[in-house]
Amino acid sequence: MIESLKINLCGVEFKNPIITASGTFGYGLEYANHIDLNKLGGISVKGISLKEVKGNPMPRIMETSAGMLNAIGLQNVGVERFIKEKLPALRKYDTKIIVNFWGKTLEEYIEVARVLDGEDVDMLEMNISCPNIKEGGIAFGTDPKMTYEVVYNCKKVMKNKPLIVKLSPNVTNIKVFGKVAEEAGADAISAINTLLGMAININTRKPFLSNITGGLSGPAIKPVAIRMVYELYKTIKIPIVGIGGIMNYRDVIEFYLAGASAVQVGTANFVDPEIPIKIIDELDNYLKCNNIRNISELTGKVEI
Amino acid sequence: MIGTVVENIKLNDKYYYMIINNKDFVENAKVGQFLMVQSKEYDYINDPILRRPFGVCDVDYDSGDFSILYMIVGKGTMLLSTFKKGSKIEFSSPLGNSFTIQNEKNVALVGGGIGIAPLYFLAKKLKNNNCKITLYFGGQSETDIIFLDKFEKFVDEIVVTTNDGSKGLKGLVTEPFIKNIDYYDYVYSCGPKKMLEAVSKICINSGKAVEVSLDERMACGLGACLGCIVYVRDNDGNEIQKRCCVEGPIFDGSKVIWESVCRG
Ligand SMILES: Cc1cc2nc3c(=O)[nH]c(=O)nc-3n(C[C@H](O)[C@H](O)[C@H](O)COP(=O)(O)OP(=O)(O)OC[C@H]3O[C@@H](n4cnc5c(N)ncnc54)[C@H](O)[C@@H]3O)c2cc1C
Ligand code: FES
Repeated sequence: MIESLKINLCGVEFKNPIITASGTFGYGLEYANHIDLNKLGGISVKGISLKEVKGNPMPRIMETSAGMLNAIGLQNVGVERFIKEKLPALRKYDTKIIVNFWGKTLEEYIEVARVLDGEDVDMLEMNISCPNIKEGGIAFGTDPKMTYEVVYNCKKVMKNKPLIVKLSPNVTNIKVFGKVAEEAGADAISAINTLLGMAININTRKPFLSNITGGLSGPAIKPVAIRMVYELYKTIKIPIVGIGGIMNYRDVIEFYLAGASAVQVGTANFVDPEIPIKIIDELDNYLKCNNIRNISELTGKVEI
Repeated sequence: MIGTVVENIKLNDKYYYMIINNKDFVENAKVGQFLMVQSKEYDYINDPILRRPFGVCDVDYDSGDFSILYMIVGKGTMLLSTFKKGSKIEFSSPLGNSFTIQNEKNVALVGGGIGIAPLYFLAKKLKNNNCKITLYFGGQSETDIIFLDKFEKFVDEIVVTTNDGSKGLKGLVTEPFIKNIDYYDYVYSCGPKKMLEAVSKICINSGKAVEVSLDERMACGLGACLGCIVYVRDNDGNEIQKRCCVEGPIFDGSKVIWESVCRG
């Protein structure tokens, strides 16, 4: 156990602040043969919905400069099969399990939240920011009234687990959404989800993705994410989980300075599944060299 | 995994052949599997970001060397071509499923362009199992017809075609193949999707078993991103999804729903 990396997020003790981001780590089990899952602070699993979802037609991914576009379409096995087929195997690992979830309607959000709240998971992460599905998702994340409604109503049925609300960067002013989510009862915010983007094949004159647009992730979006975490930190009191293009320990420190209390590593898991583990070792080393007793001391310490 | 570049040979303006040393990899690699290769030498550079998938072209159990045969397409393959002998290179473990290796059968290998890469490893194994092998090898033009001298040692017959007639027969590789289809017990194919579809349909029509190796764009190569879906029919005729990187890249050509396979 690395003392300098232990954190407490909404009452949940994490061995380190490195969490793998939803949508980039499957149900965790896909990576079990490639890395030691026990080393991770936490895993945020692929967004779960009430019913199974088959996702968008192909092509679904395209690499772009220092990043990638995806339009998978929140494909998942549905909450029932997740609990039966994935969760028991995942629970065998010594890491915190965060279940990312979403719904097509307010009622679906509430139902999934209610079911998962009674299961053996550590936290829930509400996805109101996926840009790749027509119904639900982002509609809840780009209208402050709907954000309030969905967070408030899910919190009402949740008796046991802390709730993280994952915000969309595809809004003019993210502070408004952070504030609304906090007022509605969110225990933490995670930011940011992917930025809406598009790429066109100049030979065929067709978009590269069947969905036309997709979510941009990777180092390309990191400056946007840092700015948004910084703005949120100045606006709200609940902790912020920083996400967006983290590739190494320097990126993690930067998110902490902007205001993060934990981070999620996303696209990097595709590049090299070892990256989260490497980051953990590098962070420990960095903190030692800089005489910092615990990483939490760095939250919001950017000097303006 | 990390390996050392033993050779990075330019075959012509379009094709390169890289030999990498890593004993662990060689011991575990199965015929038809692929690996994700990091095309930049320094990991603090973020572009291009994703690793690139390449088929395992050959392995040498004695030296611990394996190789990839690659075509220059864009920035990743261009960067790969700049690796010098002795430099370190990062890659995944061997990924995906594998070809089934037939015993003492008459087999046809149908390769289009760079699609011959995994067929070389396959030809060696089939030869070991006393198969009688014909290689049908098609390309756009002469520059695409590479590796013939290496194949000659392991295959019994080679039929070459080019679209422009600059080498071998003029036309598509499926033309000589369809004429001789009755002779074969089993068919393997790798190349452009249009060719794989044509080869599969020829095999279906003459009741021959066919395995194809499919290329889909990949981000993770591990089954997590769901970016590489191939639609196939299960035994009851239902349409189901397979991840090309885990349940593929080798598919039963008669089960693939070709209309839904993405092109380009
Ligand atoms: C299972 C598998 C095995 C392969 N085996 C070989 C091989 O043995 N030899 C070889 O030369 N090529 C092989 N390919 C294709 C090879 O991966 C691409 O040519 C390569 O990724 C191109 O990268 P780039 O950066 O040069 O091109 P760019 O066009 O700049 O790449 C942009 C993005 O598109 C992807 N991409 C581009 N072309 C392809 C393609 N044809 N298939 C999949 N992804 C693509 C890249 O990986 C990258 O993410 C294989 C592909 C797969 C899926
Ligand atoms: S490449 Fe990610 S699931 Fe196949």
